[in-house]
Amino acid sequence: MTGASWRLRSASSILSVIGAGVIWLALLGPVIALLAHLDGSAIASALTAPGALDPLVVSVESGLVTLGVLFVVCTPLAWMLAHGKLPFPRIWEAGLLCSLLLPPLVIGLLLVFMVGPYTPIGELLAHLNQSATNTFLALVIAEVYESAPYYVLGAQAAFASVEPRLEQQAGLLGDRPRRVFRRVTLPLAAPGLAMAASIAWARAMGAFGAVIIIAYHPAGLPLEIYTTLQETGLASALPYALVLLVVALPLPLAAYIWSARAGRRRRG
Amino acid sequence: MIPFLARKRAPLVALLAIACTGLAAAGCSSSSSSSAATSSSSSSSATASASAQPAGTVNVAYASSLQYLNEKVVGPAFTTAEGYTFSGRGGASGDLEADIASSEISPNVFEAVGGDNITPLMPKYTNWYVQYAGTAMVVAYNPNSKYASQFKAIADGSKPVSDLFTLLQTPGLKLGRTDPNTDPQGRDFTYMLELAQDYYHLPPDTVAKILGTTDFGTASSSQIYAESALDSTLQSGQLDAASAFVTQAIQLHLDYVPLPLQINLGSAAYAAQYKKALITVKSGTKHGSPQVIDITIIGTPTPAAISFVKYTLSPAGLAQYKAGGFSLPTPKVFGSTSSVPSAISSELGG
Repeated sequence: MTGASWRLRSASSILSVIGAGVIWLALLGPVIALLAHLDGSAIASALTAPGALDPLVVSVESGLVTLGVLFVVCTPLAWMLAHGKLPFPRIWEAGLLCSLLLPPLVIGLLLVFMVGPYTPIGELLAHLNQSATNTFLALVIAEVYESAPYYVLGAQAAFASVEPRLEQQAGLLGDRPRRVFRRVTLPLAAPGLAMAASIAWARAMGAFGAVIIIAYHPAGLPLEIYTTLQETGLASALPYALVLLVVALPLPLAAYIWSARAGRRRRG
Repeated sequence: MIPFLARKRAPLVALLAIACTGLAAAGCSSSSSSSAATSSSSSSSATASASAQPAGTVNVAYASSLQYLNEKVVGPAFTTAEGYTFSGRGGASGDLEADIASSEISPNVFEAVGGDNITPLMPKYTNWYVQYAGTAMVVAYNPNSKYASQFKAIADGSKPVSDLFTLLQTPGLKLGRTDPNTDPQGRDFTYMLELAQDYYHLPPDTVAKILGTTDFGTASSSQIYAESALDSTLQSGQLDAASAFVTQAIQLHLDYVPLPLQINLGSAAYAAQYKKALITVKSGTKHGSPQVIDITIIGTPTPAAISFVKYTLSPAGLAQYKAGGFSLPTPKVFGSTSSVPSAISSELGG
């Protein structure tokens, strides 16, 4: 390598890092603005008020229930999509994309037609003394609908990345399909599934559009930010955004780190 | 190959980075705290004829209940008629008043629900306002509800309005309203029920029974919906009845039960009576007040501002309000009448 080409490559690398850094900072713009505009005393007074942390509890509980529902209900669908077990797979995928493309507010409006108190589902729930509007159940339903497409598409990609050869070999060695799934498919797809779950978690924690339509209360963090903004203004609302970040970030971050490490181990 | 691509991409990354720097700077420097909606409109015909007509923009801050009327009807019609561009900003009247008082926004014209949202701006920003329109509370209902025939009978007068408040207590009837902490309509609905309880000499627990709680200011009630969700939930048939302003009911073609002036917050003449109704919300105790619309010019009157107020108070402008369901009391000037621009005074017949 000549000195000139080494210098050129070196300059190019530095330029790339600087460019990537600026893009990263630009993407972080809202977070930086949040931190720049937060006031210590406002955080203290907002978060120490009676019941101030109730929305945090509601958000975490509903987010965890949502993740549980997605694992149980959507993982098999993602596996079947990835393994071509469904007829006309493009139709199934198009359906998922439709849910992804619908604005969350519209999802909320349409959920009213599905689970409102005078729908068959709503009346069935009423017999069980439950309701799918303005309840914890409604909040979970809204979060599931906002996050499910992200989870299914991510999980589908995770299952599709597993070498079919390895699953076939396990089958040839006598493992039943369920054991192959548990011993081979799931461990190999786990990093990708973790990433899909972390994205779904982020969507569930930040869910707002569908939530405000069918679950005005119990209020999770996004709705609390909205109502506090209207009631007492920006200074009181922003601390909740910080809480949302602090609470929602560790899980996807851990999944990201674990996924990256698993990827490195697999590469050798 | 990869290093070559990396070299080729480096300038592209740098270019993107430069483009994004501005975005980041914008994100960091923003200090706006208003949640109000803003818009501007200028019809193509007005643009085409701009050279022949006055140029300029009128910035109007208006109460949220005037959003549809201003953005879809009055604003475009004003632009077509007068040539000025209309730029609107909707929000709660109290919030807009606070934003003007703190110089966070500087509209040319302010349209508020209630003169008490304008008087705090006197004399620094204005010293007059004109009361020219009003809206009122109604109870909207679902025409397919199993209670629809009873609502209809009350609406058409075959049953007395007092029956409405018994009907609203029916177990299983699904009533929707908005959050009294965040939405004036949520408070107005409670004031209306309190006034009705007094006016019709109903049992003292009538309001609590209808609202399903003795804490009238709570947001934790299955009856409470976001403002954006309430009408759509009623229209989708998932509620039996909901609170509404008459203007909203007309605009959305909702079936509704009209209420008498004594309880519907629609008449300035009953202001003292309305004030007796109260609700305690998170921000403190609030009292009922007439849902009348007042207009004023903020700061030095610009030609566009004078033109907009004049147009709004003209027969053409008031007809648009009437078509939108607003009541039209005789326009009345409050404050210093001598400060009202002469073009506006002459429109009022002064």
